[in-house]
Amino acid sequence: QDRIEEDKEKGAIVDERRRVLNEWLAWREREEEELKADRRELGLPETLDAEEEANTDGKAGGEGAVVE
Amino acid sequence: MRPILLQGHERSLTQIKYTKDGDILFSCAKDQVICAWFSANGERLGTYHGHQGALWTVDIDPSTTLLASGAADNTVRLWDIRTGKCVKVWNFDTAVKRVDFNEDGTQLLAVTEKRMGFLGTIVVLDVKVDVEAEQSDEKALVITCDESKATVAAWSYLSRYIIAGHEDGSVSQYDGKTGELIYSTPAHEDGMQVTDLQMSSDRTYFITASKDKSAKLHSARDLTLLKTYPSDTPLNTAAITPKKPFVILGGGQAAMDVTTTGARQGKFEARFYHKVFEDEIGRVKGHFGPLNTVAVDPLGRGYASGGEDGYVRVHAFDRGYFDFGYEVEREMGVAGGSGKY
Repeated sequence: QDRIEEDKEKGAIVDERRRVLNEWLAWREREEEELKADRRELGLPETLDAEEEANTDGKAGGEGAVVE
Repeated sequence: MRPILLQGHERSLTQIKYTKDGDILFSCAKDQVICAWFSANGERLGTYHGHQGALWTVDIDPSTTLLASGAADNTVRLWDIRTGKCVKVWNFDTAVKRVDFNEDGTQLLAVTEKRMGFLGTIVVLDVKVDVEAEQSDEKALVITCDESKATVAAWSYLSRYIIAGHEDGSVSQYDGKTGELIYSTPAHEDGMQVTDLQMSSDRTYFITASKDKSAKLHSARDLTLLKTYPSDTPLNTAAITPKKPFVILGGGQAAMDVTTTGARQGKFEARFYHKVFEDEIGRVKGHFGPLNTVAVDPLGRGYASGGEDGYVRVHAFDRGYFDFGYEVEREMGVAGGSGKY
């Protein structure tokens, strides 16, 4: 009997964790989409990393052009 | 997790910061000196001398060109990281408690102390990320905190907002361009100072630590309270780990503040919590006094803590750290850590 109760309790905790994790992942996804939209609106690459990469690529390309 | 002990400061640590690639860390302390260290082996790279008072804060621009610092000598200084030369001094009426570069390094905010005759302020300075450039003396923005002084502040994503934590426990959001107060909320217990505020890597949410013994996670967009991490000691610092969904809290009661003798030893631990489930999952001992500052390697390989005891302890995360996960995380395929976090 005790073990059945224990298992029930465990099950409830796992269900709750699943709910909390889903809620967090959904929130993160919305936030990331919103940030991308904000960045597009400002004419920026979708992510900060992409922006920095574009900047360094630009420089490297410039140097390459000089070598040629 | 065997730490590397960095011995270079003679007084209590006030802030630690990693460079963007996590290779170098900067520490500042009340002994008026800034130290730079290789995070991999703890070798000291150099020191930055010039401040005439206790150092409260440092930050590094995202390209690792310039170092900014704030101190009790009422100045903000800008340093050429490579040569150690001071390239700019801005003077204020009171001590500078926190500096923070925005995400492209073009602006620096500085939180100034309240003192008789002067209200606390948050000042924005324009910065040219170039060690040869002439930096402007002008303050681009001055936000005056007439309700409760700001103790900490940071820039949000896209430099859209300045988020500040206050002496009375509140957190407020200001427009990053105009300085207008948009929203303010009593995030922590009334009168319990916000002691630290650190952004997530994309600056869309942040963690606050408070003397009310809790740390909290909030949205930078609208200050929504997302998570609460309760502890049993006043907190001085809190950081969010990239890659893995954890937060690290640090604090502890200074010996002089402990009224009862025989207070439990080992209160001076870094506490790890699961960011999403809010459970405490581990502690790391080591310091002989309260933890004043915790910083995490932006690449998620380790963390460093600075204590009232004058030591910096640098920890590389081990296998167990990276393997750790809840059953539901495995089930949902995010146990190893995920960009989704």
